[in-house]
Amino acid sequence: MKIAIIKYGMGNVSSVQKSLKKLGYDSIITDDHIEIRQADLIILPGVGSFQAGMENLQKSGLADFLTQEVVEKGKPFIGICLGMQLLATLGNEPCKCNGLGWIDGEVKKIKSKLRIPHLGWNNVQITDNKKDFYREFDNLDYYFIHSYHFVVRDSKDATLMVTYDFPMVAALQENNIYAMQFHPEKSQDAGMRLLKKIIDQYA
Amino acid sequence: MLKCRIIPILTFSGLALVKTKKFAGNARMVGNAVQAAKVFNSRNVDELAFLDIYASDQNRKINLQMVRSIINECFMPVAIGGGISTIKDIQDLLAIGADKVIIKSKIIKNPEFINEAANIFGNQCITLAIDAIKEGSDYFLYNRLGKTIPLVDFLNKIASFNFGEIILTSVNNDGMMSGFDIELVQLVEKLIKVPIVVSGGAGEPAHFKELFSKTNIEAVGAASIFYFTRYTSYDLKMAISSVGRPVRIINESFVPLN
Repeated sequence: MKIAIIKYGMGNVSSVQKSLKKLGYDSIITDDHIEIRQADLIILPGVGSFQAGMENLQKSGLADFLTQEVVEKGKPFIGICLGMQLLATLGNEPCKCNGLGWIDGEVKKIKSKLRIPHLGWNNVQITDNKKDFYREFDNLDYYFIHSYHFVVRDSKDATLMVTYDFPMVAALQENNIYAMQFHPEKSQDAGMRLLKKIIDQYA
Repeated sequence: MLKCRIIPILTFSGLALVKTKKFAGNARMVGNAVQAAKVFNSRNVDELAFLDIYASDQNRKINLQMVRSIINECFMPVAIGGGISTIKDIQDLLAIGADKVIIKSKIIKNPEFINEAANIFGNQCITLAIDAIKEGSDYFLYNRLGKTIPLVDFLNKIASFNFGEIILTSVNNDGMMSGFDIELVQLVEKLIKVPIVVSGGAGEPAHFKELFSKTNIEAVGAASIFYFTRYTSYDLKMAISSVGRPVRIINESFVPLN
């Protein structure tokens, strides 16, 4: 199978490719519509600000194109960190702006007396949603680094939660769309296992 | 719960991995950077930091080819520093897979650079190296630019700037392996609201117990203890855990089948 890692100027794409390689999957880093269309699975990584991320996706025509491929045609998709946040209806970084709107919700600044960003390894908890699939990841530590969090409108979209002062969404899933706030590609074995389990369903 | 992080800090001279004492110039050679990264990756350390400590002094750029080889060994987050003075330097490091960049000299010369960089790359990848030197009972910001800067003044000035983390190093305790400067940590943790990595002085597990019981910080950097003692990050995590702070322990290793 071929995996397309979306290049849109928002950070660390090479680490994702390195993890996929270690797991034995072929991937390309690309913003080319034809290459993305030929891929069996799409990964949208990314770090940085929500607004800059959306602007970059729109500039290159990727926002509409990815919506077509993933939402309309149902191509398997994994969003990581900013790549998860951009799926929301609305973002607030640095100011209010529209996201891709694939999953109902808003990305808001973490309000807490604790140190922000929420930075480091934290354990995730499964929810009542898709429990059987996620059970083996319950309580594993993943690497987080974020100052904003995804507030879902429908709690049925959240598959993993994480607590830092209060519970936040750590992972989401709606049909073929998988997303995680943490960095599986930086989470050593726990991250590899999760990526492999998701991707292998489509291999 | 968020776990306390242990971060090996690799310091590089431009030729080899070295370990300084009190930041002095006659650093001791301790090995090969890529090999060291490989070992730390296999030990599942929480994160890795790599600093080319003379790059700014020698007015040269970090060796991207070597940094790339180090990052290739790592499946945990990696922070890279040394000689960063332009937006392009940051771009180059992030492009080869660095998760964070560590900046020092540039922000002493021009603190505004912090915000300029954060606006482009997000604050999460901007880590500041704050090196504190104690003279008498006062702390100053250590630098090799010939400036005298009281530490608290500097921290107050940059506190509202947009960065994601600091690495706080005690110059007096660097390489001495005789314990952390707890007073310094307690001073800085009140002034800085982002995560703080404390370094300088780790020599035995008891030092970690002291640090994590007397302060509220969540991350610690160390080097000498990994080179010159038998202790691994696992031993240090056990010490941190013994004072009631959470750590990440990996019991089994996952080997991909394909």
